[in-house]
Amino acid sequence: MLLIAALLPILCNQSPSFDREVLPILSDFCFPCHGPDAQARKASLRLDLPETTLRKNDPLVVPGKPEESELFIRMGHAEPSKIMPPPKFGKTLNAPQREVIRKWIATGAPWARHWAFVNPQIAPPPTVSDNGWPKQPLDRHVLKGLESKGIKPSPEADKATLLRRVTLDLTGLPPTPAEVAAFMADKSPDSYDRTVDRLLANPRYGERMAWDWLDAARYADTNGYQGDGERTMWPWRDWVAKAFNRNLPYDTFTLWQIAGDLIPDATDESRIATGFNRNYMINGEGGRIAEENRIDYLFDQAETVATVWLGLTFNCCRCHDHKFDSLPNRDYYRLMAFFNGTSIDGGGGNPQTPPILAVPDTNQASSRSALNKAVMEAEKAAGAIPKDDNKKIDAATAKIKALKEDLERLEKSIPKVMIMADAPKPRKTFILKTGLYNQPGEEVTPGVPSVLNLFPAGAPANRLGLARWLIAPENPLTARVTVNRVWTLFFGIGLVKTPEDFGVQGERPLQQELLDHLASTFRGTGWNMKQLVRTIVTSSTYRQSSQVSAASRERDPDNRLLARGPRFRLPSWMLRDQALATSGLLIEKVGGPPVKPYQPEGIWEEATFGNKKYVQDKGDALYRRTIYTFWRRIVGPTEIFDNAPRQVCSVKVYRTNTPLQALLTLNDTTYVEAARCLAQRVLLESGTDEARIRLMHSLVLCREPNSQEAAIMLASLKRHRQHFSMFKNEAEKLVSVGESERDLSILAPEHAAWTMIASTLLNLDETLNKE
Amino acid sequence: MTMSNRRNFIRSSLGGSLLYSGIATDLLARQEADALAPRGAHFPGRAKKVIFVFFSGGVSHVDSFDPKPALYCDHGKQLSLDHPETRGRGGYEKLFLKRPNWTFKPRGKSGIEVSDLFPHIGAQIDQCALIRSMHTSHSNHFNATLGMHTGSFAFSRPSIGSWVSYGLGTENSNLPSFMVLAPQMPYAGTQVWASDFLPGAHQGTRVQGGDTPIANIKPSLSIDQQRREIDALTAIDALHGAGRSDAPFLAARTRSFRTAFGMESALPEAMDLTQESAETKQLYGIERPEARTFGQLCLTARRLVERGVRFVELIHTGSSGNWDSHGNMADHGTLAGQSDQPVAGLIADLARRGMLDDVLVVWTSEFGRTPFNNTAENPGREHHNWAFSSFLAGAGVRKGYVHGNSDEYGVRAVEKPVHVHDFHATILHLMGFDHEKLTYRHAGRDYRLTDIAGNVVRDVLA
Repeated sequence: MLLIAALLPILCNQSPSFDREVLPILSDFCFPCHGPDAQARKASLRLDLPETTLRKNDPLVVPGKPEESELFIRMGHAEPSKIMPPPKFGKTLNAPQREVIRKWIATGAPWARHWAFVNPQIAPPPTVSDNGWPKQPLDRHVLKGLESKGIKPSPEADKATLLRRVTLDLTGLPPTPAEVAAFMADKSPDSYDRTVDRLLANPRYGERMAWDWLDAARYADTNGYQGDGERTMWPWRDWVAKAFNRNLPYDTFTLWQIAGDLIPDATDESRIATGFNRNYMINGEGGRIAEENRIDYLFDQAETVATVWLGLTFNCCRCHDHKFDSLPNRDYYRLMAFFNGTSIDGGGGNPQTPPILAVPDTNQASSRSALNKAVMEAEKAAGAIPKDDNKKIDAATAKIKALKEDLERLEKSIPKVMIMADAPKPRKTFILKTGLYNQPGEEVTPGVPSVLNLFPAGAPANRLGLARWLIAPENPLTARVTVNRVWTLFFGIGLVKTPEDFGVQGERPLQQELLDHLASTFRGTGWNMKQLVRTIVTSSTYRQSSQVSAASRERDPDNRLLARGPRFRLPSWMLRDQALATSGLLIEKVGGPPVKPYQPEGIWEEATFGNKKYVQDKGDALYRRTIYTFWRRIVGPTEIFDNAPRQVCSVKVYRTNTPLQALLTLNDTTYVEAARCLAQRVLLESGTDEARIRLMHSLVLCREPNSQEAAIMLASLKRHRQHFSMFKNEAEKLVSVGESERDLSILAPEHAAWTMIASTLLNLDETLNKE
Repeated sequence: MTMSNRRNFIRSSLGGSLLYSGIATDLLARQEADALAPRGAHFPGRAKKVIFVFFSGGVSHVDSFDPKPALYCDHGKQLSLDHPETRGRGGYEKLFLKRPNWTFKPRGKSGIEVSDLFPHIGAQIDQCALIRSMHTSHSNHFNATLGMHTGSFAFSRPSIGSWVSYGLGTENSNLPSFMVLAPQMPYAGTQVWASDFLPGAHQGTRVQGGDTPIANIKPSLSIDQQRREIDALTAIDALHGAGRSDAPFLAARTRSFRTAFGMESALPEAMDLTQESAETKQLYGIERPEARTFGQLCLTARRLVERGVRFVELIHTGSSGNWDSHGNMADHGTLAGQSDQPVAGLIADLARRGMLDDVLVVWTSEFGRTPFNNTAENPGREHHNWAFSSFLAGAGVRKGYVHGNSDEYGVRAVEKPVHVHDFHATILHLMGFDHEKLTYRHAGRDYRLTDIAGNVVRDVLA
């Protein structure tokens, strides 16, 4: 061991990457006590900065001389009182980790900044051996990585699989049988690319992309906390979907949501966009101190913006300097100060707290202007009536009164959405000791984290300036964090798998060149979201088959090398939408107030002491896309699992397996009704058992079953038939689930038997997954 | 379900056809990737299961477990304190000591004093280690309740039940590993039993009682039919999976369907109290109308741990109609009438069945109540986080022992103070975990239940 260690500098003169290899070790083992957090710092030693680590007097690291470097000496010290980290720290450095440090010092201890805090640069795509494979520049980055490991990419997925994959990915719905047929018949070389363009132009695309943005923005239809009063934020939700559909550039998307009220040409639309920062929970509890609430909202706003745009977990800086990243406590309050100028007062009681904006639809807007005009005209006419004509005056007064009442009624019916708007008088912001509202310390002014790019020269020190800073070409994080989230939508895991943490403790991207290529290209195209999405889904990387050999899975279980296509369970909202679509129940109405589909009885009542009664909707509202389901903050929709809880900002991916999910897709009214309607659809459309099974299978999975699959389903059908012909009541009960009408020409036992087959199909692993 | 049972189960799905049996058997031969597979502790812990009894709202320690004779004689005496609940509050410029509503008596062989508020629990005090020096970091319900469950007083974090489930897995794959018996929502809502960043399988499953204890537990078809459906499902999934080498994922999925199916019968069975004798029900006070609801929940908790559920939480009432007796301390009497006998019955029942050998019972509230008020005649008491009482009983716990003490008026925990983090560290220790090593990496940090604090209270260990 000693011999090897002694030989290493001779054998290998290359310094380990500071950022990739050295910094994570220092961060894990040293920074908790010798890092950025001034209060936790022991012995006044600071190892996160070159100037304190390589200081002239008594340096901790002597470049080129590990054996003289206190840092390295302490890491292997024989005495328990001297070894670092100390035994009570609970974690010890292993030999390879110490070797990295030794090598780093031996090769001159070069210092570098944390990768994510350095702006990504456009770099030429790498050269690869197999020039036939890449369809997009991003493929060259992927292929280079694979070739360096001697791995071949997977073949392209078969057409039907690919169509189902890309249709689910871009619209959240499966392809229709007609779309499958057309795509299968289209042999032209660009058929796939044209399909992608068709899907990107489908309004369903905006709804699909909006879901994850709503999660990050903690969107809900109630305020949260005990009272959980209802709010109207759905116009903001609809705006998000529209913005994706019209491909609003992401920089504008950012600008409007953070400062749409402050931009020079502010419109109602840009003001609605600022609702992003009003999606925080509102505490309406009596007896709460308004200022304490207000500070809570500011924390939430600052932390949400930091996570969504910067991928930084900032909340620990409420009370102290960040333990690992150079984010001092002071920077937290400077960021918070940007949000401290609004007229939000923290008072409870009003579920829809000002500032608010009335958002009339087209009809309401035209009625309003017509009524306003009518009032004006009536008043003008009244003014012309001679003073002594009491009869006419009375008539005119009555008319004006009636019109004004109409106007008032109309105004009341117009939804009002919470927005951001600054108060005339700015507030002072203070560092709050341990985050307590009533413990103000030093006063601070608005400012951005000092470790990142500079605030744009001449930008105002308000939210508008903050937004401009986020989308500035020098900002190292916004583009990376965004493309990483978009990548995650389609591949199930990010290039940085900790989307909430791009800091020192977050994962270093295995393919940083790929991430940086996507980020700089995204910025270079004017933050063109549809183009980013198109680039990803038309790449050879995305189009690979997801079938995996045992060896490949063993080598790379999470598909981080991207040697195969993505395969993972569909999010729960997409499962429900898929079931509604394949059964023919889906109502494709866009936008509007939230709806209340089926929910097991008593869920709201139990959670709210009977204060909130769940009144399930009827008719079409039961079959809208899941994005329109009413989201009660303290008890979210029961049909949703593994989702961000929508209480505070969350951008992480949830994917678990619990029996409660299986109970949902097996037994919930939504799914049983979908199965029965799918059965009916098939029973009304076609002839023999075999043909019907083929049809049903194609409706759900875009492919016909193979002979073995068909045989199992046929055998199963036979047994279900036998059973239901004996137990007609059971059959009757099963085919009566849900409120949609059933075709009474189909006998209940037959319908029930097919319902079972449909339910089986809707619960297949292949159905629950994106293949 | 045992392995051989499951084998038969899947075999039966093949409907006598031998065509696919090779595939299915191969599938079974592989280890299932499963978040809930039983896992080992750091060292052999005495407790294998936990029943965590939470009285919501703030139980007055000086009226229940912490006798303060000085409060009776100094009733009406003024004192000066900078207290979080009275600071800057109009009408609370002056504070006066206030005598307890209940009298204390020595109970059991240990002679530990418990007030007449909890005579039944008092009768079981010899089983318990009573901590009279508890203290916590916040005096709001929301924060203190969150803190008592997650170790975090501000942010959403995994619940103690989720941590235990994560650490030990489950013994019965037909039931969730962490179950919550709460007829009403507590302060902090579902955050009280959330798994947060831990895998979702460790989230508490809340049982609401009644006909449908869990959403969608009752299929709209017979068990036989559902079994046929799952059989066909498993067979087709096995075929699909055979060419894909995605076995661990598929196996986990298959298992979740099997558990769901198992739960459909196992949960109603576990909750079916008609199987219990009249004498047992009496022990829990179920025949008394006021104690009926909580008595049934306590008895259900015993049945759940008997069936292998790792962590059961019982919540007495929720975020209203609870122990938060600002208005009138007499409300404590009504609430004790609902809950004292059920909790005592649970301890006695576990003891006589030998279950206290490996079941740990925890009783606590989120904080105590002020030994003073703005007038001595004010009938209520305010929130008090500087001192309160909790107890542990059962597996590995020192019996009939009092730990620590508060000052002469019950204002501050002065002798051997136990913070919530210490309390958690001790519970984890009893389960066989070093609280500093039971960690989970999230957002770049190794998180643990006890944040960055916590010391095991060794004195309460047997």
